[in-house]
Amino acid sequence: MIPQLVTVRRRRADGRWRRLFIPVVPVALLLSPLLLLAVVGGVVACFMFDVRPLGALRGIGRVLWALPGTRFEFEEGRTALHVRIR
Amino acid sequence: MSEQRRQILEMLAEGKITADEAERLINAVEREQPESSLGIGARSKAKPKYLRVVLNSADGSGGQDRINVQVPLQLLRAGVRLTSLIPPRAITLANEELDKSGFPIDLNELKPQQLEELIDHLDEVIVDIDDADTSIRVFCE
Repeated sequence: MIPQLVTVRRRRADGRWRRLFIPVVPVALLLSPLLLLAVVGGVVACFMFDVRPLGALRGIGRVLWALPGTRFEFEEGRTALHVRIR
Repeated sequence: MSEQRRQILEMLAEGKITADEAERLINAVEREQPESSLGIGARSKAKPKYLRVVLNSADGSGGQDRINVQVPLQLLRAGVRLTSLIPPRAITLANEELDKSGFPIDLNELKPQQLEELIDHLDEVIVDIDDADTSIRVFCE
């Protein structure tokens, strides 16, 4: 399943948490014109660097599908950054 | 010899059951045993899903630095499969640079299947480093 929600939590030096919820599918739909440009750019890059475009697309799809469950948490003193992909 | 099989043979020796009945009972016990042993094995060794890296470190001011990374093993597999897309020209260049740096490694010999096998066996790897101020744990769960 592709990622549904990315949660970014940041703790400032004053101890306050800031949360950012990014719903992946709506954001991807919103940015679809840019994504289309990125795909075209990617295909051109594939031909330039002698990489199979379909293989690259499949590989990126696999990476995207495998992303849910990923979690990064960094804490340093009073500051912290937590990123979760669900 | 299992306890159940011993009991069946004792019943046969005492004449409580016939040889045919004993054979049927032993067959039933044999059918049951591999299934139950498989079940125990599967339960005790559930396949891990994530690679975890946990680092705890005391900073100079008495605070605590912490890094906690959880990466799905499926993501590692997907990343490994991306290596098959690397064009041969790039691999040749990388080989040459490695050779120049004193690492005569031929990346052509490294197959994605071997890397996948490596990931499959990661569940048995535990790295545990303990220092006075720092502890690092790498494991699968």
